[in-house]
This record gives sequence, structure tokens and C-alpha cells, in this order.
Amino acid sequence: MDVIVHPSVNDVEITTSQLRRIYTMRQTLWSDGHRITVFVLPRKHALHLRFSKERLQMFPYQLERIWHKLTYSGLGVAPITMNTPKELLDAVRVTPGSIGYVESLKNEEASNVVKIKR
Amino acid sequence: MLLKLNAKRVSMRMKKLLFVSVITSYLIAVNVNAAEQDFQFHGFIAQGLIDVNGSDLVNDDSALSPKLTEIGLNGSYQLSDNLRLAGQVVYLNGGNRYEEGIRVDYALLDWSAYDSLNWQTNLYFGRFKNNHWLYSSSRDIPFARPSIILPQSIYFDGFRDFAIGADGAAIKIRHHNDDFGNFDFNFTYGTSPVSDKQTELLLSDFAQGKAKQDSDMQVSLYWQPSFSAWKFGTSYLDSDFSYQRNDSDDMFFDADFSFQSYTLNALYEGEYWEFSSEVSQSNFRTKGFYLPQYDQTPISQGIYVQSRYKVTNELTLLARYEHFYNDKSDKKGKKLTEQTDGKIPAYFGYHRDTTFGLSYELTNNLRLRFEYHWVEGAGRLSSLVMPKPDVNDKSNWQLWAIQLMYWF
Repeated sequence: MDVIVHPSVNDVEITTSQLRRIYTMRQTLWSDGHRITVFVLPRKHALHLRFSKERLQMFPYQLERIWHKLTYSGLGVAPITMNTPKELLDAVRVTPGSIGYVESLKNEEASNVVKIKR
Repeated sequence: MLLKLNAKRVSMRMKKLLFVSVITSYLIAVNVNAAEQDFQFHGFIAQGLIDVNGSDLVNDDSALSPKLTEIGLNGSYQLSDNLRLAGQVVYLNGGNRYEEGIRVDYALLDWSAYDSLNWQTNLYFGRFKNNHWLYSSSRDIPFARPSIILPQSIYFDGFRDFAIGADGAAIKIRHHNDDFGNFDFNFTYGTSPVSDKQTELLLSDFAQGKAKQDSDMQVSLYWQPSFSAWKFGTSYLDSDFSYQRNDSDDMFFDADFSFQSYTLNALYEGEYWEFSSEVSQSNFRTKGFYLPQYDQTPISQGIYVQSRYKVTNELTLLARYEHFYNDKSDKKGKKLTEQTDGKIPAYFGYHRDTTFGLSYELTNNLRLRFEYHWVEGAGRLSSLVMPKPDVNDKSNWQLWAIQLMYWF
């Protein structure tokens, strides 16, 4: 599984802790000050479940609760849900500052794979 | 004639439902089409049935009731990199639990005042929603809270409209540290308007004067150790109300009410098991009201412990026990009975509730929830300052509720 970002993002390496902060909406800016747009797959999508457990080391329901809290209390915004991996990839390609995940990125242009440090 | 009237009422309800469905479908369409990330729309609709035997929690005649309706719509618009507008409108019908109708849950300007890799500081202006207790920001979001009826020791429905939020300003500071974890600090200050119905729910059907909230200050701190399944929190609340009697027709007197509350909470989120608990202690001072010289400050205490177990991806079970008493020097309500010459039974001094429930996910956005409560005591029934022993004449009472909820 690859974590991908729009080519405008300068951060080519981030830690698991940072990835977790980004997906729990506790870090909203990249290191160069640009706003992060976070994309996810539907809550029960197999790839989302794997991403949540393996990459974020969180249970999917924990993420969901954090996002619900933000969305329905006015405190902030949740990630944007795309229906399929293809739609998610397309969204990352066209959205500056965005981040998402795919099964694997095969010679795709217009998006970068980010290295996750443990 | 009666039939005609009923038919008219049903048809109006149908029209209302139709209107809500059209708006909902429109907003879903907007949500899907808004490829740009600056706009976000979300909402929910939940309808249930509730049956209470032995108390007036929902209605006065203990009949099965459909008064378990919750509908909400919200929107968020990013004005610039650090300014955002957000609002949510909800319609609630919970019978006697709180006032029926539409209210603005929040309508605020969110200013992201300072943002770095490890720090986030946001200021909120307008009507904001509190998030000081474990479930205070999700208490009116059916699918985001743990049960249909929340533990009344902390989330007392009679205080709902004051506890949910206020008109004023709020600050949230979030800090992350790789070694020590996440820290969240919240501070809110504001007031909420008090309607006649809320006056009735809080004080009494006979209170003919005007109640006002003079101030509400709340502060909380949360800590989640790095990569831990545990989270710990503490909060403090200080709120003042006043009551001005109606000089022409009122059995009560001018009054000042002052409420302070401290809470501690812990939450554990494992893969299958979840555990949460909150304890609170509150001082509730009443000066006047019953008599001009009346001045008393009972100290109440409450606790609940709750566990949830995920049997499958769809099915979750819930078990909870809570215990609350209005006066820690009178846990069994004996003094209460003596002071009122036996007019108010001892069971109005406390509230104990054992709850079992389950929730089942039918689809990604559709959930069915069921729960059963065995309750002992009437200490958490409205109105607090003027109990109704004629209606609530049983120390033990039960309720069950079922609710279907959809969100997007």
C-alpha cells in the first residue's frame, strides 16, 4: 500500500506519528505552510481498513469517531470520502496539497509516493 | 370531526417529512457534486419508539411513544486558509425530555489563529458547541453517541439546552508531543437563552416568571499518551442563572441559581472492547425561589461505567451502570422526605440505572439501536426544583427504546 501526495507537496518523508496527526486532523498544514487536503475511501472499504490498522495503527472506528466529532460539532472538518480507489487517485492528482492512499502506484504521473518512517 | 383533525395532522406530518426528504436529497447531491473541498454538507435523520413504564421521562401516561425524532443538517465553508464558517440546525422531539422543535446547534466563525506541526490553536465566535465531556459534542448526534439515552448523571436531558453550547467565544488548543502524546485544552464562555418551556422543565409548571442564564464558563483538558488506547480528561463548569418572578401571578420568589461542576473521565478503545467512565461532583446553590430567605447548596455526585463489545463488524453490545444522588449528605433521600413532611418520597434523592443495549449496522450509513434501562429513583427527572411525586409515584421504573438512524 502506498501513501500518495500531490506533486506540489515538498514533504517526501513523514513519520507514522505525523501521518496519524494528518488523518486525525491534528496537523492541517504541510511544513511549507500549505493547507493539507485529506482523502479517504468509504469507512468499510477493505483498503481503508488496512490503511487504518497498518499505516495509522488505529482501529477504523476510532478514526470515524474523531471525524464525526469534528463534522457534527463544528470544531473542524473531516477528510473527504471518495467512493473508489480510482476516484481517490484522481482527486489527489488534481488537488494541490492533498494526501491519500492506493494499493500501489505503478508508474503513475502527477502524484508522488511518500515514504513513511517508523 | 376528530377524525378529520387527525387526518389533517397526519397529512401535515407527511408534508413535513416530504419536505425534509427533498431537502436531504438536495444536500446529498450538493455533497457529492461539491468536488471543491471548501464546501462540506452533512446531516442525519433518526426516528425511534420509546416506552417508559413508571415515570414521566417522555410522557405522562406511560404509553408507547414515537417522540424520539432527531434530524440535523450542517454545513462548513472554508473562507480562507485560516477562516471557516460552520453551522448546524437540528429538529428534536424527545417528549418531556426537552423542548420539542428546531434549534441552531452551532453557528460559528472558526479562526485558525496558530497552526504548526505540533500546535493548533482555534478560536470560535458565535454559537459554539461544548466538547468538555466525553460525549458532550455528540450527545444530540444519534449515531455518534453510545446509546439512545445517555447516562443522566452527567448528560441530564433537563440541562441539555444549556449544556450543549452557548453564544459567546471558545478556544481550543491542541498540542502533540512524540514522547508524551496528545493534549487538548478547551475554554468556553457564553450564555444561552432560556425559553418558557425550559423554565418549566427546569423549575416547575407553576413558575410564571422569567429565567435567565447570566454566564457559563467551562474549561477542560484531555490527554492521550502517545499511541495509547487510553484517553483521560477533566473539566470544570461554572454557570449562573437568575429567576425574576411574575409579580401579578407567581407562587415563587426572585432567585439566583449557581452551579459548579467538576468531572474526571477515562476512555479505553481496544479492537473489540471499549471502556469509559465519568465521575462528577456539582454544587447547586439556590438563593430565594421557594422563600426569599431560602439559601441552600446541596452537593451532588454521579458516576457511570460503561463497556462496549464489538461482536462482529456490524453488531456491538453495550452494558452500563450509573449512580447519582442530589445531596451527598443524603444519599438515600431520607432528609429530603423529612424536610418536606413526607410530601417528596426519598427516591427523588437518587437515580440508579442499569442499561443493556445493542446496535446493528445495516449499511455504511444506516444503524439500528435497541436498549433497555432498569431505573431506581426519580432524582434525574424534570423538574428538579419542584418534583412531581403524583406522576412519578414509583421508585423503580423501566424503559426500552429502539431507534433507526441514517447519516451522510
